[in-house]
Amino acid sequence: MNKILIQLFLIFNLISSDSVSDQVITRQGQVSFFSYTSVENIEAKNNQVLSIIDLSKQEIAISMLMNAFIFKKSLMHEHFNESYIESDLYPKATFQGNFIDFDPSIEGSQTRFVKGTLTIRNISKEIEIKTNIENVDGKFLITGDFELVVKDFEIKIPPILRPNIAKVISVKFRFEYQPYEE
Amino acid sequence: MKNSIFFLLCILCVGYHNLAQSQDLLKTLEQEYPDTPQYEIATFKSTRIAIGHSVENRRKGVLQIMAMNRYWNVPNHDGQTFIADKWSARIALEYGISNRLSTGFGWTTFEDVYDGFLKYNLIRQRKNSKKSLFSVTLFQNASYRSESNGRSAVYGGFEDTSFQDRLAFTSQVLIARKFTPQFSAQISPTYIHRGASLADEDPNNHFAVGIGGRYKLGGHVSIVSEYYYVANPIKSVDTFGAFALGVNWELSDIMLQFHMTNAWSTVEDVFILQTPNNFNFQDGNFTFGFTATFALHLSQKNP
Repeated sequence: MNKILIQLFLIFNLISSDSVSDQVITRQGQVSFFSYTSVENIEAKNNQVLSIIDLSKQEIAISMLMNAFIFKKSLMHEHFNESYIESDLYPKATFQGNFIDFDPSIEGSQTRFVKGTLTIRNISKEIEIKTNIENVDGKFLITGDFELVVKDFEIKIPPILRPNIAKVISVKFRFEYQPYEE
Repeated sequence: MKNSIFFLLCILCVGYHNLAQSQDLLKTLEQEYPDTPQYEIATFKSTRIAIGHSVENRRKGVLQIMAMNRYWNVPNHDGQTFIADKWSARIALEYGISNRLSTGFGWTTFEDVYDGFLKYNLIRQRKNSKKSLFSVTLFQNASYRSESNGRSAVYGGFEDTSFQDRLAFTSQVLIARKFTPQFSAQISPTYIHRGASLADEDPNNHFAVGIGGRYKLGGHVSIVSEYYYVANPIKSVDTFGAFALGVNWELSDIMLQFHMTNAWSTVEDVFILQTPNNFNFQDGNFTFGFTATFALHLSQKNP
């Protein structure tokens, strides 16, 4: 009886330690955003976005530094961080959520929803994002796009500059994951 | 009984093991951030605090077009001038050669002074770090006064003064720190050499120190102040330290700076050493300053 229990214990432990390798990570995820207005177009890209997925739990987390966004004009970078996002006070944007009906064992591509909380400037918003998940030999590539309303994050825009910044910002992302080792 | 306790323990162990792993994914990510240094940006919003230079440089490929204006009245003036009796302006182009090095050339109507400068950002202040607590920028300018019939104590004011006599050089070490996202302060030890003086008793080499600060009221507006103290001022003429109190207003590529000051000139060596009036609201002393800056991005990155 004891032997069986010890064996059981070992098996349990093995299973649970297996789930460590069930995590995949990217340190060079890409997130870009676009604001199109008749006055000016603003686009920026962040190539240093961190993201981790727990495949067994179907959980995903994303974290990025706001000052890592690269703009066409260097002054835009300064204004984005200093006047709008206030990255001195709120340096990071994060997302934490769950996949809905995501099966990591399916090879090839599948389209799934991710539901979770997006936090920018310490303001959290529940969002649901449609993503395309590609699985090639256990390497996951997740892409997608969604839209954000500037007003939701209490970003102050002076009336004179309101025509320059779109009310709805489109966001694109691309994450290529690798197995996570602690 | 013994077995069942053991079994329970097993379950507990496994459970605990799983619990330890299911810790916040975001917390895991928090530890994954690379240890690259983060630098403070925008200690000041412009290359000038109000009247003097700040530690800020324009980034690579940015051309800054500037118009610095000063307006003041002449006491007991009986002319019919519009708004102000006197007006002085500096029109300048300043360009970022690299992210750390910038240069600029300007012409000032007051005493007809041409000036050029080089500015190099030596040290950048780091964010959340004990290393590199300050930003340090080196500044060197040279100015040439082409006006022949003036009475300026800076350059001699004689028609037959030679080219060298009309030159002045200003060297500054600008040291600034962004203490909070709103508040930044700067101290600027200054050395000025003048080619010639009107009176023999006047020194040709001067030491001065400038202090300045800004407080951000909002995303686009900040208040600034600046004062220059001269250790060995010109003796033949009474001079006063240059002072300015103003508001900076930034809109997209345009920066507007409004200030109350006592400095008439916009060239470093002239306003630091040669401000003949104190700061108060009397005619002849009170000077309104207005600087308009436009940044043109000649080279753009591809994000």
